[in-house]
Amino acid sequence: MKKTCIYVLLFLLVLPFEGCYQTDDGSYVAPITIYEKINGSWSLDELTLVDEYAKSNAITPDNEVLTSFFNFQNFNIQFNVDASNQPTTFEVTGDVPALFLMSGYWSLSSSYPNTNLSAVRINLYADAAKTQIVDQLRLTSIPGAQDVMEIQLVRASSGTAFASYVFNLSPAN
Amino acid sequence: MHSRIRECQGWLVPYDIENKRNHMKKYFYCLIIALFIPVWVSAQEEAGDIADIWSYPVVYQYTEQVSWYFDLAGTTFAEDEDVYIWIWSPSEPDAGNWENSSEFAKLSYEGDFIWRFDLVPTEYFNVTAEDIANSAGFWLRLKNKDGSKQSGVGNVPVTSFNDFFTADEMIRSYPTKPAIDEGLSILFNSNLVDGFDGATSVHMHSGLNDWEVEQQYQVWIPEVVEKTKLKDMGNGFYKMDLIPEEYFPVPEDYVMENMTFLFVKNEWEATTPDQKLIAADVVPPPPPVFSFFPLKISQKDILGMRRIYNERGVTTLHYIITAGSKEISGEFSGDKNEIKGFVDLVTELEGLTGLNSIHVVVTDNNDRLITETDIPLVELDQY
Repeated sequence: MKKTCIYVLLFLLVLPFEGCYQTDDGSYVAPITIYEKINGSWSLDELTLVDEYAKSNAITPDNEVLTSFFNFQNFNIQFNVDASNQPTTFEVTGDVPALFLMSGYWSLSSSYPNTNLSAVRINLYADAAKTQIVDQLRLTSIPGAQDVMEIQLVRASSGTAFASYVFNLSPAN
Repeated sequence: MHSRIRECQGWLVPYDIENKRNHMKKYFYCLIIALFIPVWVSAQEEAGDIADIWSYPVVYQYTEQVSWYFDLAGTTFAEDEDVYIWIWSPSEPDAGNWENSSEFAKLSYEGDFIWRFDLVPTEYFNVTAEDIANSAGFWLRLKNKDGSKQSGVGNVPVTSFNDFFTADEMIRSYPTKPAIDEGLSILFNSNLVDGFDGATSVHMHSGLNDWEVEQQYQVWIPEVVEKTKLKDMGNGFYKMDLIPEEYFPVPEDYVMENMTFLFVKNEWEATTPDQKLIAADVVPPPPPVFSFFPLKISQKDILGMRRIYNERGVTTLHYIITAGSKEISGEFSGDKNEIKGFVDLVTELEGLTGLNSIHVVVTDNNDRLITETDIPLVELDQY
């Protein structure tokens, strides 16, 4: 019993000195931005047209899958960034209906996910100076552990959404 | 029969107590005679009850020619045996001729143990329609000519439709769900349809299974004009009687799901809206539903059209969209359950300015109008 007490005491004496070792924190690395996550070429898995008016009025059907219509299965969107991960140009290919601007310049409303959980906006511009937003997409699902992305094109009038197009995308091979 | 038994009992009145033995003998003979007399007098075979009785037309006025059908299957009447009607209500036309039925009371054999009797009730019974209506109904037996064989007592069921004349119903059918091989009567109150005033004749333009098999009203063919003509019941009321499998040129074993029809004044001077009767034993499908998708659209959207629960034979929708000076047309195909398709307004209307709405006309592959409407184009918010 006496022996055990001595060992415990010794252990407790040594313990505080463990924290005295200096660890290497490495150099500063900027957090990963959304630009890095969505940069690249994305192809369509599914396109759904949601009738937001019907949905809010509990009328069915409130959505229709459009993937197999108008060549949408070939839909591809490419978001380009420069060497410092800043957005440059984007382009839609696949000979599909031009639901939004098919090519031009882009930027995000925030480089990081919004803390209030609202969707980050992808602003689309026709000019390199990015003076006037032509169309806007909502980034409703940011690629993370799952390498998939969901963007939503909302049709609104007088501030009320009446329809939206939901693009489910995965990296193009 | 009863009177003879009474006579027999009468022999016993001179009671002779002295000759008891003799009397017992007489009593015994009398008893024997009494036992057998009913058989000799009626000498009648009970053939059994009439299995079923129906009429064609299904409903009729008593002044109308009607056929009554009697199913004698299960009785002792032989196939093709001469069968006569003995009817005592509302009157007894063949009274006094039980042992020798008149020719006018003879039925005709239809086959399969079914006999038919044709009559105009007011003429056959020599009474007024009102008398018949106020009588106990049609009560009868069927018998052979000499009355040695008779059926059980039968009653010809009558369906009154007098309330139709005051019901403010445009169309009523008996039965409500027709069968392909059974009679159908359709009543029509033309007073409730604009333009039928002063009709000289009313005709039926009709088809089975959503117009798959048609009996059109072809005014240039006299036989068709006659065949499709409704019976005029006076005061703007009409009646059509038919048996679908005889009226329509259907192949054998045709399955009727519905009958579609409309009534026509004279030579297509006015028509009723399309009518539809669902056949018996057919679960009525829900009515077709056509809808646009989404419910609100802009010039930069994809417009969907969808029609569910389609009628038989409807497999394609044709659309014509007029947007300002531009016309877009096309078609979608599908089946009974659903016909669906989308129109790319984004591409089609690109560059067009000042559009507030589009005009859409949709027809089916039978050239029937599904919808004709204006859809407003919602103005999109600017970013």
